[in-house]
Amino acid sequence: MGATVKLLSAFVTSAFLAPLFAAPTGLADRAIAILEANCGACHAAAAMSGLNLTTRALALQGGSKGPALAPGNAAASLLYKAVRHNGAVKMPPGRKLSEGDTETLREWIDAGAEWPSAQTKAAESKWWSFHKPVRPTVPPVDGAHTAVDAFVIRALRAQSLTPAPEADRATLIRRAYYDLHGLPPTASQVSAFVNDKSPTAFENLVETLLASPRYGEKWGRFWLDLVRYADTAGFEADPYTADAWRYRDYVIDSFNRDKPYDRFVKEQLAGDEIYPDDVNAHVGTGYYCIGPNRDINPEQAEVNREEVLMDWVDTTGAAFLGLTMGCARCHDHKFDPIPKRDYYRMQAVFTPMVKTRVALSFLPGLNWDTMQNRNEVKMQEMADRIEATQLRCKNSLTEAKLARLDAETRTAVETESARRTPRQEQLFRAVRNQIGVGQNEIRACMSPGETAGLAEVEKELVGMALGQKPKPYACSVTDVSREAPRTYMPLRGSAVGDVNGELVNAGFPGVLGGADAPAPPAEAKTTHRRKALAEWLANADHPLTARVMVNRVWQQHFGHGLAQLASDFGSRGQLPSHPELLDWLATEFVASGWSLKALHRTIMNTAVYRRGSGVSREVIARDPANQWLARFSRRRLNAEEIRDSVLQASGALNLEMGGRPVVPPQSKEELYNLTRNARDAWIVTGDATQHTRRTIYIISKRTFRMPMMDVFDLPESMVSCSRRDASTTAPQSLTLLNGSFATTESRRLGETLAREASDDSTLISSAWRGVLGRDPSAEEARAARTLLERQTKNLGSRAAAAAELSRGLFNLNEFLYVD
Amino acid sequence: MSTKPHFPSSAGLSRRQLLARSGMGFGALALQSMLEAEASNPLAPKKPHLEPRVKSVIYLFMHGGVSHVDTFDPKPALRERAGQTVPASFAEGLKTSRIDFRKAIVQPSPFEFKRWGKSGIEVSTLFPHTMKHIDDLALIRSCHGDAFDHAPALYLRNSGSQFPGRPSIGSWVSYGLGTENQNLPSFIVMTEGALKSGPQAYAAGFLPAVYQGTVFRGGDHPVLDLASPAGLPDAAQRATLDFIGEVDKLHLRTRPADSDLEARIAAYELAYRMQSTAPDAVDLAKESDATRTLYGIGEPETDDFGKKCLLARRLVERGVRFIQLYSGTHLGSDWDGAHDDLTGSHLRMAVKSDKPVAGLLTDLKARGLLDSTLVVWGSEFGRTPLAEGKNGRDHHPYAFSTWMTGGGIRGGQVIGATDEFGMRAVEDPKTVHDVNATILRLLGLDHTKLTYFYLSREQRLTDVHGENEFTSKLI
Repeated sequence: MGATVKLLSAFVTSAFLAPLFAAPTGLADRAIAILEANCGACHAAAAMSGLNLTTRALALQGGSKGPALAPGNAAASLLYKAVRHNGAVKMPPGRKLSEGDTETLREWIDAGAEWPSAQTKAAESKWWSFHKPVRPTVPPVDGAHTAVDAFVIRALRAQSLTPAPEADRATLIRRAYYDLHGLPPTASQVSAFVNDKSPTAFENLVETLLASPRYGEKWGRFWLDLVRYADTAGFEADPYTADAWRYRDYVIDSFNRDKPYDRFVKEQLAGDEIYPDDVNAHVGTGYYCIGPNRDINPEQAEVNREEVLMDWVDTTGAAFLGLTMGCARCHDHKFDPIPKRDYYRMQAVFTPMVKTRVALSFLPGLNWDTMQNRNEVKMQEMADRIEATQLRCKNSLTEAKLARLDAETRTAVETESARRTPRQEQLFRAVRNQIGVGQNEIRACMSPGETAGLAEVEKELVGMALGQKPKPYACSVTDVSREAPRTYMPLRGSAVGDVNGELVNAGFPGVLGGADAPAPPAEAKTTHRRKALAEWLANADHPLTARVMVNRVWQQHFGHGLAQLASDFGSRGQLPSHPELLDWLATEFVASGWSLKALHRTIMNTAVYRRGSGVSREVIARDPANQWLARFSRRRLNAEEIRDSVLQASGALNLEMGGRPVVPPQSKEELYNLTRNARDAWIVTGDATQHTRRTIYIISKRTFRMPMMDVFDLPESMVSCSRRDASTTAPQSLTLLNGSFATTESRRLGETLAREASDDSTLISSAWRGVLGRDPSAEEARAARTLLERQTKNLGSRAAAAAELSRGLFNLNEFLYVD
Repeated sequence: MSTKPHFPSSAGLSRRQLLARSGMGFGALALQSMLEAEASNPLAPKKPHLEPRVKSVIYLFMHGGVSHVDTFDPKPALRERAGQTVPASFAEGLKTSRIDFRKAIVQPSPFEFKRWGKSGIEVSTLFPHTMKHIDDLALIRSCHGDAFDHAPALYLRNSGSQFPGRPSIGSWVSYGLGTENQNLPSFIVMTEGALKSGPQAYAAGFLPAVYQGTVFRGGDHPVLDLASPAGLPDAAQRATLDFIGEVDKLHLRTRPADSDLEARIAAYELAYRMQSTAPDAVDLAKESDATRTLYGIGEPETDDFGKKCLLARRLVERGVRFIQLYSGTHLGSDWDGAHDDLTGSHLRMAVKSDKPVAGLLTDLKARGLLDSTLVVWGSEFGRTPLAEGKNGRDHHPYAFSTWMTGGGIRGGQVIGATDEFGMRAVEDPKTVHDVNATILRLLGLDHTKLTYFYLSREQRLTDVHGENEFTSKLI
């Protein structure tokens, strides 16, 4: 998100925090609202002509044309003259403010041009996103066939921007495929769509794509980013999180079923309390299990607990509320009206919670436990039998090694560890690596009888391993009891277990209308605090839940949200570019029964989604970030899309769904930064056909990412990630040119091409169709032919040359970007 | 993870991002191309806030935790009280990974101490070569923190937070200053293998990924995937690159004005150039035998770290901004062997790095590079003055030592002190933020001004701390 955040921060201005929708009461509030709405785009942080209107001091300082204000004298103020268009400077460019607004500004300047204080605003909590969305009337706009287009076109006209024409069919189908599946269409899918004469061809395409299970794999990944999913817990030991993947599969399945978003929220936050009889809802609470977790060490249990609570509050705040909670942990939030007490009221929701496991169904669970217990008994017995079978050899081999030591060392070795003198300990350490006896030595020494005995045990072990299946359990949560441990608001930043602090009740941010969580019913076994949280959040009247989610979906489709900081709807966030559209979508989303698939339809079946990405330099210059949506923003594929697309093109993609994480082989160089021994930390999946599964099923470790995924900006899974980086770097080129994945798949495709195509022009056209979904142009075919000739000479075989052609195609901009 | 090497392609920001970032609108197009060369590259050299003392940093990181009371912080009281517990007040409130401070007994240092150089600073004999430079070193004996496990402590020393996810100091420095060599990474990390913290110790956190530390491995190809695929002649690599360039240009023809696409085309050319420039930077065969000997290259104990130190000098010469060298790895031996073998582990680890570090200091000085290079030596924490087992020491974040040299730092001085047992930093205590603020200041960066907007506020390496920045004492 880095560069992006920086880019956006240029728009964020501390003084333009005034309300957008709430009717401002005070004169200053109204004046600032007018400035913000009409001048903010250029005269905030952007400071065009040096003028920044975000604070009184800056406005007085003025820009290249002098001070903007003469407090007490509107007539002498440059700002007032500019909005009246009666001087050299006419602002805003190309249009005039209404009489009413102009008059408000005059009054305000004459009254001294004071800015309202930030505290006043916070106290009044008028920031737009803290009010529940109200469905706006769709404006009547010529040429707009959908509500979405009406809002967008109106804004474009206000900016005097001309939208780009509709993209061609081939571009549209590729865009839709990547947006809904994260995979490209095949060449035949492209030509079928291009030749589809139906007036509803695009709508039909969207329906087909939404109905495919590939949809859940693409959008599930989007959700997993938000909830900082990983299969391991991070830190020094980076242990596997038991059954994390059950939650991953739950997420994919939820998207595929179009589970209503309010239900999805409730299941993850409190599935155990709200839907106690629905196992699937318990699996949803795996949301709490998959976070980072510091190594468990009794000395740091308290620190660990504090961090886990912090992770739950911060992630829940970011993912579900779209709010930054973290700052309030240490002090009253400077910019959001979320006081420290509210942070700890939220934390109190989670203090009674503990992780547990839930049987996916009763009988298999019981059987699995029974088998585990039996296997444990057998394992212990077998260990004894192995030891007995090998005892003779072990002793004789050890004796032979000890016999080579001098007497003093031998005594040191044979002395019990606790009784060794320092000298003996030193002697022991010096030889301890030489006196061990390994399995290979022992086996070489064993008699046929002993070997046969061992083989019996081995046979039993193999039998046990064969029966091993993933356990029919998932990680879930519950509360310690109906009574919660107390939560204190620490006096200092994060004093762990500071009982001197103020006792707080569980509850939700006051500025959002959140009350204390009610006491649980008498018969409850848990505190029902998470239930209260979930029901408060998953509510049509909640100011943030629907808005935040529709904004995220919009961001995934267009590259940026209507509100730019998708997980920061607080008042240091930003005003939305199209506030009414955002609210219309939010209310529409709720009215559709919180259907995400309906939301995709609403967004995609519009003119704005289907626009071409090419516009003039002038349009780009006037709206560089494309916030007014005159065009479609070209985007780079993300790490998963690149890997999955290469696999699809090479013919290796295995579309099997779900199950425990797959670990593909990596070279020693690629595993260079693995923090533990690969034997334990990178246990390669035995079945090679699994290695080419979709990337969402590849193991996600917190301390190690596959280098190829890493260079293409796969997030770290430590905190909620609302937006991927899309950097452009030389190491990305190195990876796709020289890395083992790219070269393996190029070779695979090259061999197929060389085998199946009898002549070069067939080969070239199959390569183009396979990788780019279209036929090559004459110029491209010429370039490919030259390459094949050169590489056949360089490498001596047609298959090797075809592999080079494939490698080239995987590195093309056309392959790596979506128009 | 780790190997996110990002080199400044002309690429980092697109034209439209640039325009947006600089707040320019349609009136400002004339400036565009002029500014683009500079501003579109996130690693272009930037002016520091203040007059810098140094241009580059070499950060020598002793992985696993070096015992301060066996190296830089002599404590005769440990011998006097050997075998007993410390008075309750010294142990109160301290916790660590394995031992109980109230019950564990005082363990004297098995190492000999002596006074070194003209300054006569008392240090153990573990680093006989490096101590020849004592009169150039400023020793800080009062470092302290609160993270007593490796991973959190490594995060803390590098990023100012025990929790991973924040940018490391090398990333902040690259963000603040850019770099002078656009064909090499700005922030290079050399390890013997994995760290206990994983790569998040040198990650860019919320800063753009281009600022992340790039791991240089041993061998001719320091960056992963730098070499062409095995068996592929250079002519073949060139032919495929030519093909990519040609077809990309055809693609660009129908998509004018897209600097993302142009930037990626440039990135491929840069990648190809790097295939020859990076191996050249790491080619130690170009160094004289005398130089190689100086660093201990060729001797089994010191060969590996010696090569890393020499490479660090070559990288500084080439304008690399921030270089971090880790001695010790999670998968092999490191200073953490002190849990059950203080003597052995510290002897072994000291030998590995002593001569190479001394060689580095000698060489930098001889070449006039020490004036513009800050060398920092440190570790994630110290070790308990109390015994773990018979010959061990546990993790101890409450007091430990660091030294710095270069850029006009006044050597032969000691800053701060610990209590009589080396339990706590009591005089002039320095947090990680103070140390990091000082490193930034020496580079000309004001730690309160080096900020990045993320999660609703302007974030800093030093968060809201760093008030005991001590550059004025060093110079």
